[in-house]
Amino acid sequence: MEQGAARQGEPELLQQIEHAAHFLPSQGPITVFVHHNTLHAFEDLPFDQGVAVGGTRFGCHAFLPEERYRHKLERGRIRVSDLEAVLLEDLGDDADRWVASFGTRYELRLAMLRFPLRTGPTAELRWVVAETDALRKFREEVSAGTKRMTIEATRSWVLRESHESDALDSAAYQDLIEGVLAQFPIQTIERWNDTTWEAFVLNFLWRVCQKGVQIASGMSHQIGAGMPQPLSAGTQSSKTQSSKTQGSKTQGSKTQRSSVQDRRPRDYLLEQTGMDSDVWVHDILIRFCAGFLDQGFAEWELPNRDQGMFAAFLTLYSIPGVSVTPLLSELRRETLRLRKQHVSPLASIAESLERLGVDARHRGSFITSTLLALRGWAGMVWQMETNAEWAPHPAPCGSLVEFLAIRLILDRLSVSRTARQGLGFAAPLKELPWQAEEESQDADSEGSDQRAFLVFQLAQVRGWNPEDLCHLSSEQWRTLINEIDLFPCLQRRRVYHQAFERKYRNETLDAVIAHRRQVNTPLASEQMPSYQLVCCIDEREESFRRALEEIDRECETFGVAGFFGVAMYYRGVGDAHFKPLCPVNIKPKHYIVEQPLYSLVQADKRRAEARKRLGQATRRAHRGTRTIVGGLLTGLFGSVAAVPLVARILFPRSTAQIRRLFGGMIRPPSTELRLERLQREPGKDDDAVGYVVEEMAAIVEGTLRAIGMSRPDRMSPLVVICGHGSASLNNPHEAAHDCGACGGGRGGPNARAIAQMANDRRVRDRLLERGLEIPAGTRFVGCYHNTCDDSVTWYDLDEVPVRHRELFERAKSAMDLARKHNAHERCRRFESADLSISVEEALRHVEGRAEDLSQTRPEYGHATNAICFVGRRAWSRGLFLDRRAFLTSYDPTTDDDKSSILERLLQAVVPVCAGINLEYYFSYVDPTGYGCGTKLPHNITSLIGVMDGAASDLRPGLPWQMVEIHEPVRLLFVVETSAEAMRRIINDNPSIASLVKGNWVQLAVYSPETNRVERYVDGRFEFYQPEQASIPTVGCSSEWYHGRRAHLGYATINRSVGEENS
Amino acid sequence: MNLDSLIHFLGVCVVASPAVLLAIFGIAGLLGIRLGERSLARLTETAVLIGLGAAAGIVMLMLTTGRRHVPIEIGNWVVIPDQHFHFHLKFIFDRLSVPFVMLSFTLCGTIGAFTSRYLHREPGYGRFFVFFALFLMGMVVSSLAGTIETLFLGWELVGLSSALLVAYFHERINPVVNGQRVWTVYRVADAAFLIAALALHHLTGAGDFDGLMGTGPWPEGTATINHSHALFVGLLLLIAAAGKSALVPFSGWLPRAMEGPTPSSAIFYGALSVHLGAFLLLRVSPILEQSRVLCAAVILVGLASAVLGAIAARVQSDIKSALAFASLTQVGIIVVEIGCGFRYIALIHIIGHACLRTLQLLRAPTLLHDYHTLENAIGGHVQRTESFWQRWVPVGMRVWVYRFALERGLLDTMLDQWIVRPFVALFRRCDSLERRWTDWLSGGPSRESDTVKPHVTSLEEFV
Repeated sequence: MEQGAARQGEPELLQQIEHAAHFLPSQGPITVFVHHNTLHAFEDLPFDQGVAVGGTRFGCHAFLPEERYRHKLERGRIRVSDLEAVLLEDLGDDADRWVASFGTRYELRLAMLRFPLRTGPTAELRWVVAETDALRKFREEVSAGTKRMTIEATRSWVLRESHESDALDSAAYQDLIEGVLAQFPIQTIERWNDTTWEAFVLNFLWRVCQKGVQIASGMSHQIGAGMPQPLSAGTQSSKTQSSKTQGSKTQGSKTQRSSVQDRRPRDYLLEQTGMDSDVWVHDILIRFCAGFLDQGFAEWELPNRDQGMFAAFLTLYSIPGVSVTPLLSELRRETLRLRKQHVSPLASIAESLERLGVDARHRGSFITSTLLALRGWAGMVWQMETNAEWAPHPAPCGSLVEFLAIRLILDRLSVSRTARQGLGFAAPLKELPWQAEEESQDADSEGSDQRAFLVFQLAQVRGWNPEDLCHLSSEQWRTLINEIDLFPCLQRRRVYHQAFERKYRNETLDAVIAHRRQVNTPLASEQMPSYQLVCCIDEREESFRRALEEIDRECETFGVAGFFGVAMYYRGVGDAHFKPLCPVNIKPKHYIVEQPLYSLVQADKRRAEARKRLGQATRRAHRGTRTIVGGLLTGLFGSVAAVPLVARILFPRSTAQIRRLFGGMIRPPSTELRLERLQREPGKDDDAVGYVVEEMAAIVEGTLRAIGMSRPDRMSPLVVICGHGSASLNNPHEAAHDCGACGGGRGGPNARAIAQMANDRRVRDRLLERGLEIPAGTRFVGCYHNTCDDSVTWYDLDEVPVRHRELFERAKSAMDLARKHNAHERCRRFESADLSISVEEALRHVEGRAEDLSQTRPEYGHATNAICFVGRRAWSRGLFLDRRAFLTSYDPTTDDDKSSILERLLQAVVPVCAGINLEYYFSYVDPTGYGCGTKLPHNITSLIGVMDGAASDLRPGLPWQMVEIHEPVRLLFVVETSAEAMRRIINDNPSIASLVKGNWVQLAVYSPETNRVERYVDGRFEFYQPEQASIPTVGCSSEWYHGRRAHLGYATINRSVGEENS
Repeated sequence: MNLDSLIHFLGVCVVASPAVLLAIFGIAGLLGIRLGERSLARLTETAVLIGLGAAAGIVMLMLTTGRRHVPIEIGNWVVIPDQHFHFHLKFIFDRLSVPFVMLSFTLCGTIGAFTSRYLHREPGYGRFFVFFALFLMGMVVSSLAGTIETLFLGWELVGLSSALLVAYFHERINPVVNGQRVWTVYRVADAAFLIAALALHHLTGAGDFDGLMGTGPWPEGTATINHSHALFVGLLLLIAAAGKSALVPFSGWLPRAMEGPTPSSAIFYGALSVHLGAFLLLRVSPILEQSRVLCAAVILVGLASAVLGAIAARVQSDIKSALAFASLTQVGIIVVEIGCGFRYIALIHIIGHACLRTLQLLRAPTLLHDYHTLENAIGGHVQRTESFWQRWVPVGMRVWVYRFALERGLLDTMLDQWIVRPFVALFRRCDSLERRWTDWLSGGPSRESDTVKPHVTSLEEFV
């Protein structure tokens, strides 16, 4: 009967688990790295709320720490005017609300933002008050005038006071001032110098503030004991929570890592006994999960893996003879019982919840926090179960439920043991009071010193006299304290962050407008470009395109999502498996293989055989070193390894060249893509791979129309299509540098495929029927740009017709120069490259980085991405964007009146770019919470992810070395279209709407004809009034960035200026 | 300059270069001078090159002159005539120490170059290089040590720097816990070493290896103590070596030590520090010859470690633990070789294994890349081969061995359960007795600390 009852609850339980799975990190195996919004689960909330709620849930930062923003304020990366504007916008009508007699809410908050309000744990504050000159000197920021006025006012008041001693309202303040006066040589008060007066004023002010805070919180009984010595003030509150910026009660409840309903018994025991019951649980669970999810690294597979996680666990932990500790024996008894009674994982979960005494109301959140306790592994189990059918060993359905069942069994054993040891608690676990509300004994007394200190600092910068403060009623004090409490650290950081974003956004929009005015290139040039380059929209290609445009002014460049519309499963000639090369939200239907040229098939077979032999030998050698006999042999001859060891570390680049020389002997010979399908239905088999002509035509048409290259007079004789990817050594996160639009793959084959399609006569005929003419003299060539070592590989050059070769040579040499310049521009960000490095050296430098085993930053990936332009290149060409902009080509003049091309484009561009941007945002804002911390101790485990050191939770997210130069701002889209069209697209596309309306991205529309920007604010498009009319003009990019490492502003690149200068 | 003084000069250079390096780093730290990344790397490089060059010079001179035993004396530092004690700083260049010191310099130099880029922009860059200099110093001193006290000095420096580097990321809990664990095991090993050193002093009147091992350069010396003494001292030294080289029953710390940055894991647990125990056994190998029982014990410990390592390595699913156990296997075999009396083979094995494992550990982050290449070469997923294991061993046994290996031979658990717990319980018992006594004396609760709850709130503010 009991079981029946339990079974009834099971659907609900399943639902709760699936809901909890929603919060788990959505990163799959690290070999295919797809950038996601880290807080995807909170995307239905607006950004500000999402980061706060998500931060509470995961125990992570929502924004940068306050002092980082202050640092930006000091260096001018945030201006006071930004703070003012953001604050006014934020407060709306409340800005003018009067706070007691201290000015408006706006003024108060601005003061709190402008001046660093120091605070700390009570003990630290007391030390500051007693030991530093906090009570002797005004803060540095206080202007001389304010200082003089405060001192003057107090002086005259005190002097007057000492004559007519009954002027004060309350006796308490009388005591107070006398107490302070007693510390100073009162006899000589007439002859005090300024320093003495300053110290007196501050001492007095501090006491008044302390007193005021006590009055406000109705705790005047503390005064007597606390007053005479600052050091002993507030002894009752010695057990203050030591939160760095703790200032208020409202904030206090938020800073808790977990709220009451998220608590687990472990948290209670940790607070009560200091013993962490999770240590034992995680020790077992991490090892077991790693074994279960292993994709083939360990020699021995987990026994009974095919029966599922739960069954494998029960078998493994019920064997006799290894349970040497009481806890292990208990685990064995428990697993034996569960096996014998054939308890299902769900029933086991229900049982564990029951035994732990989890309240039915809190069950959902309890399950969530239990799963989140080891969220990397739990998330990976969920990903392997739901989203990794391509992996060698995906997890069977229901694995997450089984994971939870195992976790709860371990949890309750460990908790009951810890409770017994730490608390002497022997009753059933159900009675452990872990769900009880936390005692809030010192909720009020804590923070009173902190508040007083805040008021004290504010009083200095705002020039409040101690006298005025003395006259405040308790009501007024309460208003003031409330007001300060209403603007806690999180809110301040939010405003700082918006101000930081505002500065960058305004500079960007100003730059767009100013650049247009300064350059004023015709939007549709009469002249046909000599050749055209189509790149990915990736912001790393921005500098490459800009360099090429600077080198060859007659060329034209485009940006389009780097899979070029060719969504496919691809298998290279030397590859073992098909892998998808398209955005993650597309499921490809077509398969493409790369083959050796027909005449070279035999040669390739021999090489493939050699590769296979060599591969197997390598594998055997590697495995061998871990066994006894093999290890003995390799050990005895291991001294040979000293040669590659020393060579690779000291001379990475040359060693790589030598290796490549030898590798060339077994590399596949010249190849071709098998692009055309013979069968009707696409599939994996030899005849089923590829596309039919009709499909090819559709792909080519879609891509050409998207970038606005749909008129024959706009197509030059040579069109280069350039995919990109990145290859580096010793980098588990290698895939995170690849093309985001290819789902973390390398986009070379896509470029090659579309070039081949567009060159096909039959495709062109088909396109002509559809009204898109590709001139007969136009030739497409595909290539691949490695963004790490800045190499460019060309495809199918043999097929370039003779009459195109001269033009091709010109394009190639320009691109070769451009990649050197690109490397040079990248080098300004690498501290290990000299700022005075030459263009040639720069290329060598980045080549070395890619081959260097000790290099943790082979490239900086998408770091610093901040903007996305969607529109014609004409208005952004020649604008120095510092590799921060995704550039999507779109020509509104070729679009229909419904802007359907734009709509299709944004459907892909907005989520992909926002995902990249937000992942970088969160990994930067909290590198250890959302990101995966520093790379240095990373340990690849199970071939699916990295742990920190010997054993830890799996670490999803980006490593610090990838994001360290990032500037966390939400992506700003500048779209060349009308406000109406944009509004319609937002309303019709939920995936765009949630990002735009929730402010997860920023949006503006731009019209180059009128040179006007309208910014999206709260559902409306508002005209943007530029702040600055012009930006600097320089002759070439390197002139602008030369010698500078840090963030750079905008500039117009105008070669004629450069030529004049030289 | 005659030959002797030249050799002496070079010998002093070998020892002095890491010492000066450490002194520079230490003094700069004391004076509050922050050395930049480049200067730290360059200084380390220079010290290694000088040391390596001088060592190579000595080798050339030894080869040309045919000398096989070159002692370098740096004076008597402590002399207590009544107790017949003198602390005598003496270094020997012979067929054991020269290869070992050159290996240390080569690997440290390479790893130093590696680290200077790997740790670029890391806040603890300077700290790493200070520990690294400490380690280099320790390695050089212990490889060249001519007396047992000198060896102990180097041994301690190596242990200290190892433990500190395991706990390098001290802002996280695990590295610190594991660092302490390594340190604790090292202390046990040190204690055994110290007792052995004292016993040797009593037996021979000096800690000098020359006196101890009788005459003749390594490895031909014969010990001057009788076999029961040799057994006693030898067993203590075996405990010391087992602690340092993570042999059974101390093997549990080896995978835990993989907490530091990758290069430190490589140099310590792949290459040098893990072989130091084996080196100690090699150094005192004449003692081993005195006692069959001792040799048997050495072989047994080595064999157990090798088997444990080989089994455990097969189930590890993370690269660093797998390599740690692979190292353990080889160190076990090396110890067996020493027990069997194959000293040159053991030495060659140490050098080969150190180079190979260092390279493997440094390349550990490339695992995915390598796997990808391998799959492409083979043309399919890497399949687990149907081995002896799957064909012949019954299922129940397989599960048992798998679990045994997954629990890493249960060594840590057993140490905790049967050594640590009783030990702690004893002292807790003493503590409670004391409390009762003080409570009685003070007529009430006498310990304020009892009422204080553990402070767990985080210092950080999250949202």
